[in-house]
Amino acid sequence: MSAASTNPEWVAKVQNQSRLSFGLAVTDMAARDNRVVAISADTLDLIGLREMVAAAPERVIEAGIAEQNAMGMASGLATTGMRPYLCGYAPFITARSMEQLRNDVAYANQRVVIGAACSGIVLGVSGGTHHALEDIALMRSLPNMTVMVPADALEAWHLTQATETLDGPSYVRIGGKFDEPAVTAVDASPTIGKATTLRRGTDVTVIACGCMVVEALAAADELASEGIGVRVLNMHTIKPLDRDAVLAAAAETRGIVAAEEHHLTGGLGGAIAELVAEEHPTRMRFVGMPDTFATVGPTRKVREKYGMSAANIAVKCRELMG
Amino acid sequence: MLTNREATLDELRAHALQIRRNVWRALHAAGSGHMGGSLSAADILAALYFHHLRLRPSEPDWADRDRFILSKGHANAALGAVLAQAGFIDDAVLDQFYAYESLFGMHPDIKMAGVEMSTGGLGHGLSIGLGVALGARLQNKGFRTIVMLGDGELQEGSNWEAAMAASHQKAANLTAILDYNKVQQSGHVSEMLTLEPAPDKWRAFGWAVREIDGHDMDQIISALDELPYVEDKPSIIIAHTVKGKGVSFAEDTHLWHNNMVPDEVFEKAMAELGEPA
Repeated sequence: MSAASTNPEWVAKVQNQSRLSFGLAVTDMAARDNRVVAISADTLDLIGLREMVAAAPERVIEAGIAEQNAMGMASGLATTGMRPYLCGYAPFITARSMEQLRNDVAYANQRVVIGAACSGIVLGVSGGTHHALEDIALMRSLPNMTVMVPADALEAWHLTQATETLDGPSYVRIGGKFDEPAVTAVDASPTIGKATTLRRGTDVTVIACGCMVVEALAAADELASEGIGVRVLNMHTIKPLDRDAVLAAAAETRGIVAAEEHHLTGGLGGAIAELVAEEHPTRMRFVGMPDTFATVGPTRKVREKYGMSAANIAVKCRELMG
Repeated sequence: MLTNREATLDELRAHALQIRRNVWRALHAAGSGHMGGSLSAADILAALYFHHLRLRPSEPDWADRDRFILSKGHANAALGAVLAQAGFIDDAVLDQFYAYESLFGMHPDIKMAGVEMSTGGLGHGLSIGLGVALGARLQNKGFRTIVMLGDGELQEGSNWEAAMAASHQKAANLTAILDYNKVQQSGHVSEMLTLEPAPDKWRAFGWAVREIDGHDMDQIISALDELPYVEDKPSIIIAHTVKGKGVSFAEDTHLWHNNMVPDEVFEKAMAELGEPA
């Protein structure tokens, strides 16, 4: 029996696209929970909401290209007991509607789930206006907010489903099409707030999120051939951070490399550094976007230009071995 | 002998006067505050809480209650006053305005009984109200949603996103009330960034519009009683009001948008807000 025929139907539908995972997972949840409502900011196809439009049209609210109003509406819907899933582009649904996000959603502590597609440099050729490289910092600075960064399309499905367990606001940072082999099992059940250990090395630790997880695994494989045992953690939840996993890495390995598709300011690396600085000082290296706006270009090439690659993760690991 | 309507109007006017007195009481306790926009809203708030809204003060989270969102959150002194008078919160809370760890701060806090949403950043309430109204519709609930807007607030573009969306959604269960007191923090709205022609703008955005004198209780309750004005449109009541209404020295000036309230100012204001004749 082929793998395809044993996979659930949704696996084929998402086509390795995290953004489709989010919308299809919302559609799936909506079928069993009539409180689930999707709000689209002109993202019906982007996020994969067409099936929900067909199945439950009254529960797909098209807000148009108006993120501020979309965010406020989501908060208002949540106050009535509905469970809104707000679908937008990462650069716009965060920065454009940040005050609504902070006041109406986080401060008022409303259960709104934000699905932010095309994060990082997914829209590489679109240029800096369409890159989202500060969204993790913005989101994790908000009290009450849960911040998730799925590593691939399969994990995007599972984490979106896992938001059913949350009572407060949350942010799901969604990447783009994932051409590499999935790092997540089809039947995985990631727990929000709990890192997934992908390699058990004891020399040095790479803590990665999103598209950098597969790069971390490639770096670990390369370093294994040099006799360096790399622990790889998929930190799919940035907030609340898995303290135990980070502190164990600090205690049990020579140092931590943080890897993310995000500015070096305020993201995953910053969150780890804040924790270990107080509780278990350890050597660290950071892989991510330096303090500049990224150039235009194909996503993978742009990432590599700024060091967001397996090769650079390996360089940083070797530094910590020295 | 008074007719029923006249008796109702007199009762509501007395509530409005009491709101104004309680606004000054809260501001005096705090030492300062936004008196202008709190006083301009007092008559409308009296009509809402003692005539129009279906509420259970002893059960503030009653699922089928009507929702009122004060988008112009800086008028929270007036909201606190009416919530105390209606019995949502203890009267003593009014003396806790701005107090350390008080739920009654400068702007509404959703954690306080009777407050539907934390507001204060301007241009938020109408979107939230639209979400509430859509939530009612999706759950086949008959409760109504009313959002009070400030005039200066309408300079925020987010309101116009919400205005477009509400008419697109045919949200007839949503009502906006514009407390059009014509004055914002630094001057008259017409000189800062005019809203005119305000009624035409709202009509163009697909709303049913009614203009009233926001201090004429008869006009206020007629406007509320006759909602919605059109079957498939959201409604806006453009209430022409006077900033600082009821206290002569605070009327129609930005100087009393937000100001200090020492004892002598408080006493002068309260002297003007005597008991009803």
